[in-house]
Amino acid sequence: MTSVHRKFLIAGGVLLAAVAYLAYAGMRKGWVYYVPVDQFVADARLHGQRVRLMGRVSGDNLQVDGGAMTAQFDLLGPARKVRVKYRGVIPDLFKAGADVVVEGRLRDGVFEADVLMTKCASKYDDSHGRREMPG
Amino acid sequence: MTSALLGNLALSAALLACAVGIVGVVAAARLRSTAGMRAARWSLPVVWLCLTVACLALAGGLLDSDFSISYIARYTERALPAGYKLAALWAGQEGSLLLWAWLTAGAAGLWAVSSWRSNELHHAVAGGVLLLIGAFFAVLLLYVPTASPFTTLPEAPADGQGLNPLLQDPAMIAHPPMLFMGYACFALPLAILLGALAAGRGDELCGEPVRRWMLAAWLFLTVGILLGAWWAYIELGWGGYWAWDPVENASLLPWLTSTAAVHSIGVQQQRGMLKRLNAVLICGSFALCILATFITRSGIVQSVHSFGRSTVGTFFLVFLLLAIAGSGAVLVWRRKLLRSEAPLETVWGREGMFLASGALLMLMTCVVAAGTLLPAIAAIFPPAGALLPAITDAAAAGGSGQGAVGPPFYNSVVLPMGLAVLGLMAIGPILQYGAGAAAALKKRLAVPLGGGVLAIIALMVAGFGNLWALACALVAGLSLTATVWDFARSVTQRARTGGGGAVGAALRVIDSNHRRYGGQLVHLGMLMFMAGVAGSSLYGRKHEVSLEQGRSADVGQWTVKLETLREKRHANYTAVEAVLTFTDRAGRQMRLSPERRFYEKSGQVTSEVALRSTLVADTYVLLAGAAADGRAVGFHIFVNPLVLWLWLGGLTMTLGGIVCLLPPVLRSTADSEGISGGRTGGAQADPAEQRVSA
Repeated sequence: MTSVHRKFLIAGGVLLAAVAYLAYAGMRKGWVYYVPVDQFVADARLHGQRVRLMGRVSGDNLQVDGGAMTAQFDLLGPARKVRVKYRGVIPDLFKAGADVVVEGRLRDGVFEADVLMTKCASKYDDSHGRREMPG
Repeated sequence: MTSALLGNLALSAALLACAVGIVGVVAAARLRSTAGMRAARWSLPVVWLCLTVACLALAGGLLDSDFSISYIARYTERALPAGYKLAALWAGQEGSLLLWAWLTAGAAGLWAVSSWRSNELHHAVAGGVLLLIGAFFAVLLLYVPTASPFTTLPEAPADGQGLNPLLQDPAMIAHPPMLFMGYACFALPLAILLGALAAGRGDELCGEPVRRWMLAAWLFLTVGILLGAWWAYIELGWGGYWAWDPVENASLLPWLTSTAAVHSIGVQQQRGMLKRLNAVLICGSFALCILATFITRSGIVQSVHSFGRSTVGTFFLVFLLLAIAGSGAVLVWRRKLLRSEAPLETVWGREGMFLASGALLMLMTCVVAAGTLLPAIAAIFPPAGALLPAITDAAAAGGSGQGAVGPPFYNSVVLPMGLAVLGLMAIGPILQYGAGAAAALKKRLAVPLGGGVLAIIALMVAGFGNLWALACALVAGLSLTATVWDFARSVTQRARTGGGGAVGAALRVIDSNHRRYGGQLVHLGMLMFMAGVAGSSLYGRKHEVSLEQGRSADVGQWTVKLETLREKRHANYTAVEAVLTFTDRAGRQMRLSPERRFYEKSGQVTSEVALRSTLVADTYVLLAGAAADGRAVGFHIFVNPLVLWLWLGGLTMTLGGIVCLLPPVLRSTADSEGISGGRTGGAQADPAEQRVSA
């Protein structure tokens, strides 16, 4: 092995170690679980941490204030529901019956979300007839 | 004849032409048949012609609103403007696959007509690879219902369902064809490389065609990704341009590998080194295009876009595995041809630095791919999922449920690596090949380093102390000084020897080496791009304000007043427009009018952002919504510094890429002396290098 090769191997090793550490640290910061509403309600271990909830917006008790940019609604799973309080831009496709993803954590029995995304069928979807979404 | 029948006939003819061509390739390889060789060569443009007819059939149906074709009924309506009807060709899955197939066949046909030398076996094998790719698409478009654009409905509806309003935007119209053009170009380097390897032609592995097609692929992909980012910025209204969504990541993967490839291919051409790296990058870029398609169309990854679980994904997965296995087998079989011709003499030369940047870019590719695919891997492979709680803060979840890494992951891992690549890019112009490189670098680094330090000092004096900003300033200062210094030396030398004015000499210097100076223009664009990313992500601000008509509020450096709120009716939507006046402390005023549009047909609401761009910052206003009584109106006001530099940088990169691809324009005896015969005939001597070695 020449000295140049050795230098490259050492540099590569240092680089790999650095990237592995960055990735590890990034995972700790950036990993978020996707949880269906029912499972979230049932699993108390999830209540203290930041998660992404998927569910459907209930038509009852839906309060949207576009002026103050807040929305409060019940997020429905197949069997259970959780009250969500969201603050931020209300997406264009948000309405009762919409499938949404919210991200945040539970505080005093209310899920406080700072991310609200409406899901819409992709343009590359097989289920003909649904609206497409660019992607 | 109906459009559907014509389209399906054309697709069948394309498949037939692929089959004939493949038989020709086999005959040429086994029996040395010249007729087989001819059949293989000319089947490629014939496939393109057939697919052109298929595209025209679909386009004709779209313009005629032929709703008996399911695809046309789902993506257009009678009231849609003709331009958008035509653009609906790539609004949905089936049409976009047809477009991709057509573009791939176009690139392949162009190569077969322009570069194919008769009786060269490696060209025949390359043609065979392209024909196999063509056959895959033809089968998909003909026989898979969810990918077939010409599936008819038993009864044509009176009107179609219309095109998603979000797609009715010029940037979105141009974005998919650019991406597909890039994807199409990636097939060529792969085919040429595999052809040369299989035929045992070590001298044809990385010739000019490989470099040019790779460069073209990189260029189209760059334009496509930037258009997508621009569209997201002006249309989606969240104030950003990149969200690390799986869809975006998918298109970034082949971009990263092709960026590495366009650099390291040059090293192979000039020094006969980095052959294995190039082979992996070329095969990998193509495979990553297929992977990108698989990610976006299989529903394997949870995304905001919530992809449907389409069966087409399975076909692309099979295609991906076959492509990896096939090209991998050829690479292993012909590994002797991929041995380096020269030992690596120093870390500090061009070859070493290109190897390092290639490694970094490949690592970035792996990180982005891992982040994007991790949820799917964890779901399919439970041991990986069980490991997750051990390394994440989300340990309490006990591994339950699916998850994903968000932007913080990518920002903290990929961006530092990107900055490191840009650091290597910055010293590029002062690097040279060979054993003397380290000494030369030491001698020539002082001036650019001074430029970098000056840039840091300037930024600190201006009051910006963020470490990332200072690192970017160092890279920018270093890179700019190195580039300008190098260029100025070449120009003065040219002016001295060739006579003429400085401008003429500068033009001749650029024209004598498009590759070098086009590349430096791309690097300049990268620096502008970096400035945009750094400015907007480090110093961006977001304000939320609620206003009633006639009232004003203090927002950041402005007083913002809601002048009026008015309704405007348009052909297919009604808009509510808010007129805002921004007054800054110096009393300067600007007026911005964001809108919300209500589309009658779809019942969809979209926001129209009001944007004022300057070189310093963008003011980006979104009408977020109104209170139930309609009096208080909510606005989001983003101040995004330096975003305009992103788009200017993108334009510069595009321009640089075009310069790289153009043949020399000026002719003079002095210039022809500057081009000496390189290793494969394509390499050009570098005036800067000649000077250093002299």
